[in-house]
Amino acid sequence: MSNIVRLVWFDLKPDLKPPVWIIMEWVVFLVQVGVYGAIITQLVNNPLVGDYRQFFAVGLLIMITFDMGSHTGRHFVEHAHEGRLPYLLSLPISRTQLFLTIALQGGAELALMLAVPLTITLLIIGNLTLVSVAACVLTLFWLGFGVAGLMLALSFIAFKSSDLYTAIVTGLSAIIIRFSTVLYPFIVLPPQYASAAAFSPLTYGSDLVRFILGFDPGILLNPYYAVVVLTALAVSTLGLGAVLVQRLVEGVKSA
Amino acid sequence: MHAVETAGLTKQYGKVFALRNLDFTINENEIMVLLGPNGSGKTTLLLILATVLKPSSGYAKVMSLDVTAQPTRVRRILGISFQEARGFWRHKPADILRFHANVCGVPKAERDTLIESLLKDLELWDARNKLFMHLSGGQAKRLEVAKVFVQRPKFAIIDEPTSQVDLRGKRKIWAQILKLRKEGSTILVATNEVREAEYLADRVTVLDEGRKVVCDTVRQLKDSITGGDIVELEVEVTEPQILEKALTELEGTVKVTNRGGNRFKAYVSMAESWVPKMTDVCYQNKARISSIRITEPSLDDVFLHFTGRALREDS
Repeated sequence: MSNIVRLVWFDLKPDLKPPVWIIMEWVVFLVQVGVYGAIITQLVNNPLVGDYRQFFAVGLLIMITFDMGSHTGRHFVEHAHEGRLPYLLSLPISRTQLFLTIALQGGAELALMLAVPLTITLLIIGNLTLVSVAACVLTLFWLGFGVAGLMLALSFIAFKSSDLYTAIVTGLSAIIIRFSTVLYPFIVLPPQYASAAAFSPLTYGSDLVRFILGFDPGILLNPYYAVVVLTALAVSTLGLGAVLVQRLVEGVKSA
Repeated sequence: MHAVETAGLTKQYGKVFALRNLDFTINENEIMVLLGPNGSGKTTLLLILATVLKPSSGYAKVMSLDVTAQPTRVRRILGISFQEARGFWRHKPADILRFHANVCGVPKAERDTLIESLLKDLELWDARNKLFMHLSGGQAKRLEVAKVFVQRPKFAIIDEPTSQVDLRGKRKIWAQILKLRKEGSTILVATNEVREAEYLADRVTVLDEGRKVVCDTVRQLKDSITGGDIVELEVEVTEPQILEKALTELEGTVKVTNRGGNRFKAYVSMAESWVPKMTDVCYQNKARISSIRITEPSLDDVFLHFTGRALREDS
């Protein structure tokens, strides 16, 4: 276990000296909520939604979570491309521990990224009970692990062709974010859009967080479905990623 | 017991074979040098032994541990220096070595002293606080091999230890490799530098197109080339034709050519045993030897002899 923590800390340390990109993410979030959120709230006037800025802030949290999950997968691919993966594979740790390291590092980065945006969102919404905060954090991490697992599983494509991997991940990201309820409530979506959104994990992540934070359940998907979908996603993709690392990965540079 | 043993080891990428049916052993506390041109399968073999790659068939054992069945245990006793320095590009050399020593279980009490002494010896001390991405190619390579020296594993794998390193740096790295062996490590070095192989090797394995061509000590490999030693001879003699005939008939002579007057060039096997016999023949023929120059074959010649191709053509 100590080697896992050592590896995570060693890789993470340069990002924190100084933590420019994390602070920039926080600033971007503040600007998004403070400026764009204020303007868009004037334009969206739907009694079902209520204060759109609150809805929007949760959507931004979900997008940060998705970005960080994707980043974890990309990070793994970069390790392979930079030639660092063979070194990691030669260290005296098991492949399972190596996979845990990747997941834990993704989790640590997600926690750092979300610390300030989540606090601001909770302050805006005003729901600051211990249960709501804990459930909210748990949901975001569960979603983050699911997305990271998905990207890690897809990262093995990059060993064959990094161009194909980039194309697939870019396309998938665009579809998963756009066709979801991250920025629009499910009940206002046109039927075709709603059908597509039902397949996006972000739909379930964002609706579950909103349910926990006390949004009107009438505009959200059933939270029980969300728990089932997010759990299935995290377990299946992380499991697949772990098996692939264990069995398939070889420290060769991609073509 | 062999420190390393492979049998029928094969690595295949689609239709391309990187290694074919390799049977190979390294004795304990031995420096084995893998010699071969680029693409001969050297790095593939190293990566399989380091458990980074998996063999397609056959097996490989390190200290009796199977690399496929017990990879984590294998990794606990080996250290590898890769051909290219692997990039923790935002970290500093001292931090990289400290992290590596820490993960590989080097006791805390000796870690800092060891790292400082290595950084100084490999002339990285002034660069210890530079970021990895700002190091020169030679510095990055020296840092890469320093990982193995700081770890001092039971089995050390070093891929092209001195590529991109200047002559002074080469000598320092070679000295560290010999020191590592003295401390009890078994060492596998892959190189396509003949001089490096000759300097370090207890035994040399020549690889070509994924196959083991030959494996022996440097001396034995050189001696195995019929007529590989060249003896250039200058004598004072009245009847050179008779002497030439006598030299040609000597045991171990492959060919003798007269290079004009009293100068001969003899292609012989094992010059060290041929020369005493040659001096007897000269004495019998009343020939006075003015000068002798002996040139032994290089490992380049060994490679050419066994594969029909020059080592350098491919590298």
